[in-house]
Amino acid sequence: MRKVYLFILVTSLLLVFSCSMLVQGQTKFNDVTITAFCDAGHNALPFEWYADEFAKAGIKVNVVTAPFANIYEKLKSEFIAGTGAYDLIVLFPMYLGEFAGMGYLKPLDEYAEKYDPRLDDIAEGFLKLYDYYGGKLYTLPYDGDVLSLYFRKDLFNDETEKSNFKKMYNKELASPETWDEVLDVAEFFTRKSGETLAGKVLDSDFYGFAFLAQRGGFAYAWWLAEFASRGGKYFDQDMNPMINAEEGVIALQRLIDLLPYCPPDVLAYGYDELTNALILGRTAMCLQWPCNWKKGNDPTVSKIVGNLGVTHVPGVMKDGKLVYRAPMPCGRTLAVAKDSKNPEAAYYVAKLLSDDFSLADVSTPQTGLDPFRKSHFSNPGAFSGFAPEKEASEYLAAIDNNLTYGFPDLSLPGTAQYIDVLEVYLGKAYTKELSPKEALDATAKEWNSITDSLGKANQIKIYNELLVGWKEVGLID
Amino acid sequence: MKEISTNVLIGKNNFAKRITLPSIIILVLTVVGPLGFLLYASFFDWSLAVPIPPRFAWFLNFGLVFKDARFWNAFKNTSVLMITGIIAQSILGLIIAFLLNRKFRFKKLAITILALPIMVTPVVLGFNWRIIFHEHYGPLNYIIRLLGGAGSSWIADPKLALFSIFLVDTWQWTPFVTLILLAGLQSIPHQIYEATDVDGATGWQTFWRITLPLLRPMFVLVILFRIIWIFKIFDPVYILTGGGPGITTETLSLYTYISWVKYWKVGYTSALALVQLVIMTIIATIFVRKVMQRRRA
Repeated sequence: MRKVYLFILVTSLLLVFSCSMLVQGQTKFNDVTITAFCDAGHNALPFEWYADEFAKAGIKVNVVTAPFANIYEKLKSEFIAGTGAYDLIVLFPMYLGEFAGMGYLKPLDEYAEKYDPRLDDIAEGFLKLYDYYGGKLYTLPYDGDVLSLYFRKDLFNDETEKSNFKKMYNKELASPETWDEVLDVAEFFTRKSGETLAGKVLDSDFYGFAFLAQRGGFAYAWWLAEFASRGGKYFDQDMNPMINAEEGVIALQRLIDLLPYCPPDVLAYGYDELTNALILGRTAMCLQWPCNWKKGNDPTVSKIVGNLGVTHVPGVMKDGKLVYRAPMPCGRTLAVAKDSKNPEAAYYVAKLLSDDFSLADVSTPQTGLDPFRKSHFSNPGAFSGFAPEKEASEYLAAIDNNLTYGFPDLSLPGTAQYIDVLEVYLGKAYTKELSPKEALDATAKEWNSITDSLGKANQIKIYNELLVGWKEVGLID
Repeated sequence: MKEISTNVLIGKNNFAKRITLPSIIILVLTVVGPLGFLLYASFFDWSLAVPIPPRFAWFLNFGLVFKDARFWNAFKNTSVLMITGIIAQSILGLIIAFLLNRKFRFKKLAITILALPIMVTPVVLGFNWRIIFHEHYGPLNYIIRLLGGAGSSWIADPKLALFSIFLVDTWQWTPFVTLILLAGLQSIPHQIYEATDVDGATGWQTFWRITLPLLRPMFVLVILFRIIWIFKIFDPVYILTGGGPGITTETLSLYTYISWVKYWKVGYTSALALVQLVIMTIIATIFVRKVMQRRRA
C-alpha cells in the first residue's frame, strides 16, 4: 500500500512540475517585475484591471501614481537623480522633447519590430506629433486627447430657444462654427436664476460657456484653440516668440470677452470643475477633452445623459473658408525609461495597453482615456454599454476630425517653464491686471530669457526637429 | 549625594565636548551642510532643465531676485498674509483665551475641540476648504445665500482669493495662539489680581496694566512662531489656489517651489531661498530686540 501512495505522490509531483514548466514556457518573460508611473486617478485603473493579463506574460506591474499637476517634477527629479525608479512611464507628450532630447527615454523601434504595436492603426497626427522624436519611436499612445466643442443638444434643439435666438441675432441657433458665434451663443444662454431656459424655470444661474483657466492643468490650451486656428505659432524658426502676434492677442481678448458668460468661479476651474459645470447642467457648452462625452453619458455622474452634442472646435473664417485647429493638450503616451532594467517587459506592457486592451479602455466611462486608433474610430459599438451607437458614431467622427486638424503641445526642454509663464500671464489678463497685448508681450520677453538660459542654439535645433514632424502632418508649410 | 564637579564636565578629558560631538555632527550635516550648498549654488548660473554645466556667476542670481517682479509680488502677498494673520489671530486668540480662562462645564472638551484645527494635516485642510469655498456647492455660499446674500467666488475672484487663504490660516492657527495665551493667563499669580482689586483698579486698567504686560513673553513667542510659519506658508496656498488666479496668491514658498521643481533653476532658487532666510532673520531679530528693549525699559 505504501508503494502505491509513494507512486501517486511522485506522479503528482512530476505532473505539477511539468505543468509549471509548460506554463513557464508559454510566458514571454520570466517573472519580471516592473514599476509603472502614471498620474493618479481613473487613468491608472487599466494597470489594475489587466494585472492578471500581465502576469500571464510573466510580468508583475507595480504602479506608482502622482497627482496630475506634479507629473513633470516627479519624473524629472527621478531622471536627474538617475534612480531608475520607473520602467514604464505614462508621459505627457509636452515633455517628450525634453526627456527624449536629454536621453532619459529609450527608443522603442527595436521592440516595435519584435512586438508589433500596429503603428499604422494609430491616428496619423497623434503618431507623428506625439510618438516620434528625432525620427525615432519613443512612445506608444495611451490617451488620444484633443479638445472638442461640447454642447447641450436639448437646449440647442428647443423650439422656443431657437425662435428667441433668431429674433435676437437674426440667425439660426446651432453649435457655433466660429469664435464670433461662440460669443453670441454664450451671451444668449446666460440666464439668471428665476428666468426660463428651454421651458423650465431656473433655480440657479445658468451660463453660456466655460473654460479651463486654472494654472498647471493645461489651461493655455483653451487660449491656444483660437490662436492656432488663426494660424498662430509658438515661435518662428529662430525661436523668436510668436505668441504676442495679433492671433494671440485676439484669442486672449476673446476669452476675456467670454468671462461674463462663464460661471463666476471659472478662473479656478480645472478638469473636474469644467466637466461638472457641463454635465451637472450649469453651462450650455464648453471646450473639453473627449472623456467629457463619456462622463456626460454616464448616468451615475451626469444629469444630461443623451443630451450632449460634440463637434469640431470653433474656428475662424479665412477667405470664405472655415479654418480650425484643435489643441491636443495632455494626450498621454507610454514611454520606457532609459535606466529601466527590464525595458523589453516594460515595452510589452506598453504595447498591450496601447493596442490589445485599448479599445475597452477608451470606450468605458470609468477611465478618462480617449480614442486614438483608427480601429477605435470605426468601432462605435464598443460604446454601446452606455451610449447609443448612433451617438457614439457622431462622437467618434468629431474626435477623429479634431485629431486630423490637431495642434500639438509645445515639446521642448523647458516646456514646463514656458507654459507656466504663459499661464501666469494669461491669468494676469483674465484678472485685468494687464491688457492682452501687455500680458503676451511680457510672456514673449520671458520666453526669450528662458530660451537664452537654456541655450538658444540647442533650443533652435530641437524646435526645428519638432517642426519636421509638424510639416509632415501639414501643420506648417 | 556627591555633586558632579564642573571640572569633570569640561575638564581635561573633554567629556563635555565628546557628548556634544554627535549633536554637532548632526547639526553640521543637516543644517550647515545644506545651507553651505545653498550658498555655493547661489553663486552659479545653474539649470538642471538642460545639461549645461554650471557657470560661476558671482552675484548675478541675487541681482535677478531683486529685479524679479514675481519675487516682489510673492513678497507682497506673504507680507499681507503675515501682517493681517498675526493681528487677527492675536486678537481672536486673546479673546478666546479670556473666555476659556474661567470655570465652566466641559472646559476640557472645549479646549480639545479648539485644538483640532492645529492637528489637521495641511493638505487635508486645503481640500476641505476648497469644498467649503466652492462657488456653487460649497456650504459657505449656501449659508450666505440662505441669509439673503449672493455668495462669492472665494478662490477664483482675484480680490477675494488672498483673503480666503487668510481665513483658512486664521481658522487653523488661532487655536494655537489661544492655547499659548491661555497658558500665559493661567500662569499669572492670583494674588496680583487680588491686589489690584484692593487698590480699586477697573477691569480695563487691570487688563491694560497687569494682564497684557505679563502676557508679553507669550505674545513674543506666538508672534515669532507665526512670523516664521506664515513666511513659509505653502500647503493651503498650493491646494486652494495654486497661487492663482494669475499669481494673485503666490507666496514666497510657492514661488520658490515652482522655481526649483518646475523651472529647475538651481542657482537662482538658491539665491531666492537665501534672500528669504536673510529677510526672515532680520525681521525676527528686530522684533525680538525691540521687545527685549521695551522689557528692559
